[in-house]
Amino acid sequence: MPMLEITKLNKSFGGLQAMTNLDLSVNEGEIVSVIGPNGAGKTTLFNLITGVYQPDNGDVRFEGQSIIGKKPNQIVDLGIARTFQNLRLFTNLTVLDNVLIPQHHKIKTTWVSSVFRTPGYLKKEREMREYAIEKLSFFGPRLMSFRLFQPVYVLSYANRRRTEMARAMATGAKLLLLDEPSAGMNPKETREITKIIRRMRDEGGYTILLVEHKMNLVGEISDRVIVLDYGQKIAEGSYKDVVNNPKVIEAYLGKRAEGEETDIQRAAAKDGRIAE
Amino acid sequence: MATMDARTRELAFPKTRTRNIALTIGAVIVLIIVLWLLQSVGSTKLNQALALFAIWGVAAVSLNLINGTLGILSLGHHGFMLIGGYTTALLILSDESRERILTSGRSAMTEQTVALSVKGLFSTLGLNGLTTDETLWVRFLVAIIAGGLLAALAGLVVGIPSLRLRGDYLAIVTFGFGEVIRLSASTRIFAPLTNGALGFSGVPSEFGKSVWWTFGFLAVTVFVIAKLKYSSYGRAMEGIREDEIAAEAMGINLAYHKVLGFTISAFFAGLAGGLWVSWLSNARLDNFLFTLTFFFLVAISAGGTGSITGVLLGTALVVFVRQYGDPLEETYAIATWITAGGGLLLLAAFGAFMYRVFQRSRRRWHSSVFILAGAGIIAIIVGLSAPALGIFPGEFRGFGMRAIFLSVLLIIIMIFRPDGMVGRQEFSWAWVMRERRDEPTDEERKQDAWLTNKQLNNPDGAAAIAEKQADVAAHPLIETGDEPEEED
Repeated sequence: MPMLEITKLNKSFGGLQAMTNLDLSVNEGEIVSVIGPNGAGKTTLFNLITGVYQPDNGDVRFEGQSIIGKKPNQIVDLGIARTFQNLRLFTNLTVLDNVLIPQHHKIKTTWVSSVFRTPGYLKKEREMREYAIEKLSFFGPRLMSFRLFQPVYVLSYANRRRTEMARAMATGAKLLLLDEPSAGMNPKETREITKIIRRMRDEGGYTILLVEHKMNLVGEISDRVIVLDYGQKIAEGSYKDVVNNPKVIEAYLGKRAEGEETDIQRAAAKDGRIAE
Repeated sequence: MATMDARTRELAFPKTRTRNIALTIGAVIVLIIVLWLLQSVGSTKLNQALALFAIWGVAAVSLNLINGTLGILSLGHHGFMLIGGYTTALLILSDESRERILTSGRSAMTEQTVALSVKGLFSTLGLNGLTTDETLWVRFLVAIIAGGLLAALAGLVVGIPSLRLRGDYLAIVTFGFGEVIRLSASTRIFAPLTNGALGFSGVPSEFGKSVWWTFGFLAVTVFVIAKLKYSSYGRAMEGIREDEIAAEAMGINLAYHKVLGFTISAFFAGLAGGLWVSWLSNARLDNFLFTLTFFFLVAISAGGTGSITGVLLGTALVVFVRQYGDPLEETYAIATWITAGGGLLLLAAFGAFMYRVFQRSRRRWHSSVFILAGAGIIAIIVGLSAPALGIFPGEFRGFGMRAIFLSVLLIIIMIFRPDGMVGRQEFSWAWVMRERRDEPTDEERKQDAWLTNKQLNNPDGAAAIAEKQADVAAHPLIETGDEPEEED
């Protein structure tokens, strides 16, 4: 049974059909990328899975349980967490606080015991800190030591992205939805984040569904790639199959004259790793 | 398990809890001694001002839980205070006052509602030991907690619309709710409980005017709200303040935490209301106008939104101006006003200088300092020599000058410190001891973890930089082509 199973998902905003009969499944331990031109519905898909939007019809099942109609925080409880395309960190709080807040939903003690700092609460607080630092240490020393206590607004853009990924991991979710994890990062940082995403799967045991525009990142880590256009799935398969799919090329670049080489193909040819 | 280096461990798990508790106990003892000296040496007026500071402190700190920590602008705090205040007043009113209400013939109160009292409850329970004059404090405590609980119930009710509304719209709802509470208290429906527009007079005032009682309540309020703010629950509330959508996406139950914040805040507002009627020794509707909430908002913005330390500083400022601002409202010769204005300008010049010193600004002797000081000296000279020279005759009555003074003070604070006097900073022993956890050590600076860490530094990195440099070299226009030709 797939971990996440989406069947016949539909969503429209007024007259705009944002998602049409989408079928999608993610198996445990997979890294699945969703790509597509701007406005293809990638972020809408994330919003539908995480409960920000309610679908018109169709079903989303997580570990066999339907999550339609659940609130975003209930979906986090079940084990799906996300990052945002345009960073939604708690800007005035410290890095550590940002990674402690997502653990709050697992707290069992009441607010009264937290006011009086009962031993049970203090133990929990300590565990939360250990866990937060464990998640932050995925990024090496970049967010360690004094960085833990810096407010997010002093961090560099790349560090904010890392903090956001650590924050999603700290919810204790099994499935992470990463919305453009490498946006705004330079090539070196993109390579680093590529490795980290793979480590998140291999060492952290997370299943990952990501939206990304950087094709080399997608090509390098994806087990499977799903291409959306106008809210419909137009292709699915390995990266190599997908980028050579005429429908995908058309969606990105439009129709072309016979015999002309597309930019994607040219890029793929340049990057020997992807196109043999 | 991930590796955690020694410094991270040291920073994240500081072993200063015992030290901090010891320091706090010491500080509380010192504060008690200072308070004891002040209240025994000081005048009645000083005692009243201190008690008022504590009462308004309770209200402002609790309002700050909604405004500062939860990030919801709430304007209905006077409504919660009214509920707490009227409940307390009704429950501990003296027998003579009750008799007067009944015999006056103008009251809407019935025999049943007039008889509502903690004293009556205790005598029906057979606790006759608690119905004497000496044990009034027990009844006051029961009454004020009942008031707090009723106010908390109201907070629960207001908290529910807060789930559907945001920002300004919610502020208007809370404002409306506060006003609805105040106005409905005078209607025929509630008049049997509130005595309508007449209110209650003769509320025992030995609690609200006592420095010990009021500061005791302030201590409890600060303890609970500060501990809550620095717990996981408080962090969740701050997360809601920073970004509601992100907080919900991180598993925070928005409804629960908002309503929790509102309820706790309203409870303490109810306590403040109970102390407030005791301080005034009467409960009247015009003591619970919106201006009350406005004073707390001024205290919060002047002190520092979200900071309990700041809110207390702001409250001290507001109470000081309110209680000691009377001389500003009297009649003086215009020359005296000019002299006083000059003195203020000199003070402002000093303030500007000190501000630059604190900011570690290179130019401490900025022109603003000279301009302010120069204007101040000229004003003082003019003011002092005016009677001799016969200029500026006449007198001026500083009617409303107290409010103007407070407003000007607020404007100055907002210009120089838009986040309030202390901003989001909070008093802490780490701050006193100059322990900065958010700054790298010299060693960390030297290592420069950003650039020289081998583990992070991909060997491709250098190649990428070289490639970029070559790219720039190939397009010299990007570097140099930035000088537009001048045209006439």
